[in-house]
Amino acid sequence: MRRIGAAALSLVVFLAVWKLATILGGYPEYILPAPSVVGERAWRAIGTGILWEHTAVTLLEIVLGFVAGATAAVLTGIALGKSVLIEKVLSPYIVAAQAVPILALAPLLDIWFGGGLLARVVICALIVFFPIAIATMVGIRSVDPLLTEMLRSLGATNPQRTRLLEVPSALPVIFGGLRVGVTLAVIGAVVAEWAGASTGLGVLINIANQGLFDTPLMFVALATLAIIGLAFYGLVVIVERRLLSH
Amino acid sequence: MSPSLALLASLALILGACQAPAASDSQDGLRPITLALGYRPDVQFAPFYVAQREGFYADAGLEVSIEHQPAPDVQRLVADGQAEFGVADATDVMIARTAGIPIRYVSTLYQRFPVALIGDAADVPSDPAGLSGMTIGTPGKFGSSWHALLALLEAGGLTEDDVTVREYPQFNQVDGLSNGDVELITGFRNNEPLRLEARGTEVGLLTVDDVAPLPGPGLIVGDDLLADEPELVRAFVDATAAAQSAVISDPGLGFAAAEASVPTIAEDPDVARAILEATVELWDGDGFADGAIEQETWEAGFETMVRLGFIDGSVPLEEMVALPN
Repeated sequence: MRRIGAAALSLVVFLAVWKLATILGGYPEYILPAPSVVGERAWRAIGTGILWEHTAVTLLEIVLGFVAGATAAVLTGIALGKSVLIEKVLSPYIVAAQAVPILALAPLLDIWFGGGLLARVVICALIVFFPIAIATMVGIRSVDPLLTEMLRSLGATNPQRTRLLEVPSALPVIFGGLRVGVTLAVIGAVVAEWAGASTGLGVLINIANQGLFDTPLMFVALATLAIIGLAFYGLVVIVERRLLSH
Repeated sequence: MSPSLALLASLALILGACQAPAASDSQDGLRPITLALGYRPDVQFAPFYVAQREGFYADAGLEVSIEHQPAPDVQRLVADGQAEFGVADATDVMIARTAGIPIRYVSTLYQRFPVALIGDAADVPSDPAGLSGMTIGTPGKFGSSWHALLALLEAGGLTEDDVTVREYPQFNQVDGLSNGDVELITGFRNNEPLRLEARGTEVGLLTVDDVAPLPGPGLIVGDDLLADEPELVRAFVDATAAAQSAVISDPGLGFAAAEASVPTIAEDPDVARAILEATVELWDGDGFADGAIEQETWEAGFETMVRLGFIDGSVPLEEMVALPN
């Protein structure tokens, strides 16, 4: 209850500072709209259906991109964590891929993958991949070697050790990566939409900013993305608590 | 940093960024002003480089700094007084003004609307009605390219639903055309066709001018500056028109100035020179008119934009266009 109260207070303070900035600065709506203006615009955008039309597409991209990227990342992270050879071979490529700005690569990925939902999911998954893969590798490596040795002495096979000891032990660290990854998935979806899409909150931002000069609508799209990020982050935390409590 | 502190820091940055620069004369008595141009340095901005280098602005008592900004930000910066002048698409000015952004179009730079539908010569229909069923690549559902596409479709008795639109927000629609993902693209007829021809494509064009006249890009200014200092606006407009006229007469002059200001020209000077020559044709139209605003084209364009639903007509044309005294 106290946590909810603190969050609500934080939101009120944030909105108050925002409102104060618009008053003190005397900024017109097209530069910094007041929270009430954004709220009113959000209400209209919900009423016309435009907000949901774009939000639904972005949600789909986030879910598919996160699931695909996280699955690949956990599997890769396990391989990296268990095999020094695999780590030596793959790590340079993984790190190099992470160092390449996805914004620069995204237009090419869009063309390579045909420019549809698949292309956007791939871009989203790529952004999600790195923190989860590295977290998984670190988690696997941090397993107590004595426990590993004990399972081995009991005749457990390599897959059994992975399933029964290493992955469960690494879960807290893996979830650290998933928390980062799920927020990056939101960014990934927008980057993918900026590379090529007709709908999505990234597209709505472009339309509002470049097409309609509707700054309040742009803020509505940004706020929606922030809420989505918070919601997915909260979801990961809930799943984490459920799993780790057992 | 906690989220609350980060938000406060962001707001502080916004506050700082929005402070308008003070307008005071420089040491040599010239009035410092800022000109906001879209995207990045380009040979198409040659008149401004010439006006800077050859003293057109200095003769008018101006010391002009050029800043390149994302196109939609140009209108906001000019409206807010952070830049005295900017270059914007006329169709965007109509939308921005209708959305409450206090800017006005004060001088024509392009007498011909620069956007066209571009493709392999064999694929480009001669009549807009022939666009039905085609796949067309465009940067997005905004900006002059989108306005031109819908105006062309309307002229052919078609709507967006009669074609398949593929969006290239990174402006890489040329790549989409080259690898066959789309049959036509929207683009600037002084740019993309030349780049496609350099790749060996025999290019065809479907232009907007003849079927659905729309006013071209021009100079914009904020309401406050226009009201407070019309003589400054007049001086800038006249100096720019004089420099543009000089480039039309001698494209070599413009190319030399652009070479000094646009580093990328060195990569392919032949294409850059061809782009400048094609751009000169669009500036010149039926004869250069020193930036004069063609009322008929604006009225026709305004009506087209209302019909297409981009603006609701609530802000009259007279509040979008102004001739400095």
